[in-house]
Amino acid sequence: MNIVAAAIGRPYIPGWTDLGPFVAEGWLIVTVVGLLLAPFFARRRNLACFLVALAGLTAALISLLWVGVPAPGRAPLRGILIADSFALLWKAMLIVFTVGVLFLWRSTTASEMREGDGPEFFTLLIGATLGMSLMASTTNLLMIVMAVELASLPSYVLAGFRKTHRLGAEASLKYVLFGAGCSALMIYALTFLYGMYGTLDLGAIARQVQGGAHAHPALLTIAFFGLIAGVGFKIAAVPFHFWCPDVFEGASVEVTAFLSVASKGAGLVLLLRVLMTFADAMEYRAAQPLVALAYAVGILGAITATVGNTAAFAQNNIKRLLAYSSIAHAGYMMCAVSLLFNLNGHQTDAASGVNAPAQVLLFYLTVYLFMNLGAFAVAALVYRATGSEDISAFNGLVKRNPVLAHAMMACMISLIGLPPFAGFVAKLNLMLVLMNNGGGWWILVAVIAVNSIASAFYYFRVLRAIYLEPAGADQPAFAGHPLGVALAAGSGLALVLMLVLASPVSALTRHYARMQGIGGAAATPATKPVVTVSAAP
Amino acid sequence: MQFLQNNLLTLLIFLPTGGAVLTLLAKNRDAARWTALATTLVTLALSLVLLITFKTNFGAVQMVQEGDWIPAFNIKYKVGIDGLSLPLVLLSTFICALAAIASWNIEKMTRGYFALFLFLETGILGTFLAIDFFLFYVFFEVTLLPMYFLIGIWGGPRKEYAAIKFFLYTLVGSIALLIVLIGTHLYTKDAATGLGSFDLVKLPLLIKAAIANGSMSMDVVRWFFVLAMICFLIKVPAVPFHTWLPDAHVEAPTAMSMILAALLLKMGGYGIFRVAYPLFSDAGRELWMIVAFVGVLSILYGALCAMAQTDFKRLVAYSSVSHMGFVVLGAAMMTKTAANGALFMMIAHGITSAMLFFIVGVAYDRAHHREISRFGGLATTMPVYFGLSAIGIFANLGLPGLCGFIGEIMVLLGSFEAAKPGSILIQSGAASTRQIYPFAVSACLGVVLTAAYMLWTIQRVYFGPERAEYRGFKEVDSREQVVLWPLAVMALLLGILPTLFVFSYTDSTVETLFKLFR
Repeated sequence: MNIVAAAIGRPYIPGWTDLGPFVAEGWLIVTVVGLLLAPFFARRRNLACFLVALAGLTAALISLLWVGVPAPGRAPLRGILIADSFALLWKAMLIVFTVGVLFLWRSTTASEMREGDGPEFFTLLIGATLGMSLMASTTNLLMIVMAVELASLPSYVLAGFRKTHRLGAEASLKYVLFGAGCSALMIYALTFLYGMYGTLDLGAIARQVQGGAHAHPALLTIAFFGLIAGVGFKIAAVPFHFWCPDVFEGASVEVTAFLSVASKGAGLVLLLRVLMTFADAMEYRAAQPLVALAYAVGILGAITATVGNTAAFAQNNIKRLLAYSSIAHAGYMMCAVSLLFNLNGHQTDAASGVNAPAQVLLFYLTVYLFMNLGAFAVAALVYRATGSEDISAFNGLVKRNPVLAHAMMACMISLIGLPPFAGFVAKLNLMLVLMNNGGGWWILVAVIAVNSIASAFYYFRVLRAIYLEPAGADQPAFAGHPLGVALAAGSGLALVLMLVLASPVSALTRHYARMQGIGGAAATPATKPVVTVSAAP
Repeated sequence: MQFLQNNLLTLLIFLPTGGAVLTLLAKNRDAARWTALATTLVTLALSLVLLITFKTNFGAVQMVQEGDWIPAFNIKYKVGIDGLSLPLVLLSTFICALAAIASWNIEKMTRGYFALFLFLETGILGTFLAIDFFLFYVFFEVTLLPMYFLIGIWGGPRKEYAAIKFFLYTLVGSIALLIVLIGTHLYTKDAATGLGSFDLVKLPLLIKAAIANGSMSMDVVRWFFVLAMICFLIKVPAVPFHTWLPDAHVEAPTAMSMILAALLLKMGGYGIFRVAYPLFSDAGRELWMIVAFVGVLSILYGALCAMAQTDFKRLVAYSSVSHMGFVVLGAAMMTKTAANGALFMMIAHGITSAMLFFIVGVAYDRAHHREISRFGGLATTMPVYFGLSAIGIFANLGLPGLCGFIGEIMVLLGSFEAAKPGSILIQSGAASTRQIYPFAVSACLGVVLTAAYMLWTIQRVYFGPERAEYRGFKEVDSREQVVLWPLAVMALLLGILPTLFVFSYTDSTVETLFKLFR
C-alpha cells in the first residue's frame, strides 16, 4: 500500500468546501441508488420509482438553489469541476425540465410500461440527467469526455426502450453507432490537445495558445474539429444530425422530449463554455484560431438551421417534424455560440462579468424548454388517444380537445418566433446581440430571419390540421390525462407570460450569465492543472 | 375621470381583449354575440371620448402613457395618440362595431369567432396607438394570427390556401421590419447607457444625428427604408406585392373582408407615415421615384384588374389595391397636401371599402354566388339596397360631395404641388418637375378608370331587366340597414365636411412630420 501511496503522492481527498457546490449532483446519485433499491420495497414498482425520481429531483433542485454559487475565485475540486452561475441556471432548468418529462411519462407511457421496467427506465433517465448537468460544469478534458459519455450511454438505451417496437430498436442502434463514432472522434481529438499542451485543463491550454505556444495548426484544427464533432453530435448539429430524426421517431415521446431539450441544451452549454474559455483567454480579439473557430461554429449553425427547416417540410410524422424543428433551433442557438470575438469590445462585460452569448443562450433555452415540453406533451396525448403520430392525427383537435389545441398553437407560434409568445423575445434577443456584434454577423441574422419565414410553412401544417381540417369519423373527442393536459396548458401559458414578463426573465438570465474564470470581476486567478499522472514531457 | 384620462389609451387597447375572454365564457351563441357587440360599442364610445380630450393644434404625440417593459433593451410600453392615429383609431372602433353586427349570421363556433374578432381589434388599436417601435411590432404581428384563423376557419371554399397565403406574405414583410427594428435600435445607441432607442418619437431625431455624425451611412438608411417599405407595401398592398389580397378577400367571411380592407390595409399605410418616412426621410426623398412608381402602378394596374374581374368581391378587392395606391403615391410626393390627402384617403377608403364588401355580402347571402354577369336588375328587386349601394359605389369612385373624392383630389393636387419649386423633392434636388409630372398625370388616369369599372358594375348588377330568379329576394333587412346606414352617412359627412372630421386632426401632425423631412 505504501508503495502505491508513494507513487501517486499524497492522495487528494475533497472536503465539504469542494463538494458543497455539487450537492445537487450528489442527490442525483443518491436517487439512482434509491431507484435501484426501491423495487424491493414496493409492489407497484414503476410508480414507486416515479415517486423516488420525483423526490430525488426535487431534493436536487432545492439543494441546488439552496447552496448557490461559491464565491468567485475559488476553484473547487482543484478545477476539475466548475460551479458558477451559468452552470447553476442550466442545472435548474434541466432539473425542472426532467420533472416535466417525469410528468409526461406519468400521463402517457406509464400505463403501458411493463411492471418492473420502471426502475431501469428511471435509473437511465436520472443517470443521463446527471451527465448533462456535469457537462455544464467542466472545462477539464477528461471530465468533458466523462460527462458526455455519462449523458450519452443511458440515452442510447432510453432511445430503444420501447422494446417491442421495431423502430425503437433501429433508433437505439443508429444512435449508439453514431454516438460511438463521434465520441471516438472527440476523444481522439482531445488527446491531441493533451499531447500538445500537457494539461487537461482547457483554460490552461487556452492561455498557452494565447501565449503563442507553438502547436501545429493542422493538429489544432483536428483537435477542434473533433471537439465540435463530439459536442455537435449531442446538439445534433449538421452534419452530425443523422441520428436525430430516427431516434426521435423511434423513442417514446417523453424520451424524445428529454433528448430534444436536455441533450441539446447540455451540448450547447458545454460548447459555449469551452469556446468562451478560449475566447476569453484571447480577450475576444479577432485573431487566429478564434476567427476560424467563430466562423466554423457560425457557419455550422447557419447550415444546421437551414437544413433543419428545409428537411422539416417533408415530414408527416409529428415527432420527426419536431426533430427537424429542434435541429433548426439548435442551429439558431449555435449562432449565439459563434460570438467568440467582438469588433466593438468584449463579449464579457468587465464590470459585471456578464457574458453576452451566454445570456442569449440561457434566455433561448429557457423559452425553448417550454416550447418543446408543450409541443411534445400535446403530441404524446394525441398519440395516446389516436395511436398515430401522423400530423393527420391532429385533425380537428380544436373540437376534440380545445385546451390541447390552443397549447399546441402557442408552442408552434412561439417556435416560429412570433408575438404574442416568448419565442419572439428569445429570437429578438438573439438577433439583437448578433447584429450588435458587428462584422459579418448580420449574415447570421439574415439567415435566421429567412429561416423563421420558412419554418412557418411546416409549423402551420400542424396548425392547419388542428384548426382547419375537420376531424375524421374515427377521431372522437378525448379528455387526455389531466397531468399531461396541465403540462401542455402550463407550457402554453408560460410562453405568454414570458413575453409579458420578458423583463424579469431577461434580468434572470443576465444575472446568471457569468462564468467562473471568464472575464470581469468574477475572473479567477489561473488554476493549477490537476493532472496527477505525470504530465507529458 | 382622471384615471380614465390617464389610462384611456391602454383601456381602449385592452378592452376588446377583456371582451374576448368574456365571449369565450359566454353560455350560448346569442350571449357571445351580444357580449362581442357590447364590447365593440363600449370601445367605440370610449374612443369618442378621445375627441374631447384630443388637443387639435398640439401637433406632437399626446396623452402618452409609458412604463418600462424590458429595460435591458430599453423597450417600453408606450402608447400615445396624434393626428395620424386619431382618425384611424376612430375608424377602427367604428368599423369593428359595424363588423360585429355584420357577423351576426355566423353559426359555426360563434364564441371562437367573436373572441378572435376582439383579439384582432386589440391588435389593430394597439398598432395605431403604440409609440414604442417594439410594441408597435408586437401589435402589428398580433393581428396576423386571429386573421389567419378567421379566414381559415370561417372562410369560403379555398380558405386554407387564402389564409396561409395571407399569413406568409405578411410574415415576409414582418421579418423585414424586424431587421429594421433591430438595426435602428443598434444604430441609435446612447453613449452613456449603451442602449439604443425604440421610441418612435425620438428615433427620427436620433437617426438624423447618427447620419450626421457618420455612424450610420446612407447605404444603411436606404436599406432600412427599403426593408420597412417592403413590409408596409405588402400590407397595403401595393403592386407587385398585392397577390395575397384578392384571395384573402374572396375567401374571408363578409365581416372579415370589411375589417381586412378597412383596417388591416390601413396598418400598412399608417406604418409608412409612422415608421418608414419619419425614420428614414432622407432615403424616402432619394427613392421617391420608386415609391411613386409603385403607387401609380398600383392605381392603374389595380383599376385595370378590377375591370377584368367577373367576381364581384374580387372586383372590390382590386379596387382596394387601386385606391391604396393613392396612399402610397401621397407618401412618395412628400407634400403636406399629398400627405393629408393620403391620410384622408385611408379613412375614406376605410368607410367605402367596408361598405362595398358588405354590399357584396348582402348580394351573396341571397344569390349564393358573386358572378357579376349573373346579376342584373337588382335595382328593381331591392330598391333600398340599390340606393345604399349607389352611395357606396359613388363614394368609392370619387364623386364630389362623397368621401372618395376628397382623398383622390388632395393626393393629385399634392402630386402636382410636388412639381413646383419649393417642394421638398424639388428643393432637395432629388427630383425635377419634369420627372414628377408623368406620375401625377398617370395617377389622374386612375380616377377615370375607377369611374369606368365602378359604373360598369352598377350597370351590370343593378340595372337592366329584373331577373326571374332574383324576384323573390328580400329587401335589405333591419340588421343590414343598421350596418349600411352609418357607413352611408359617414361617406356623405366626410365628403362634405372633410376638415371637421379629418383635417382638423391631421393638419398639425402633418406639419410636425414635415419638419422632419426638411
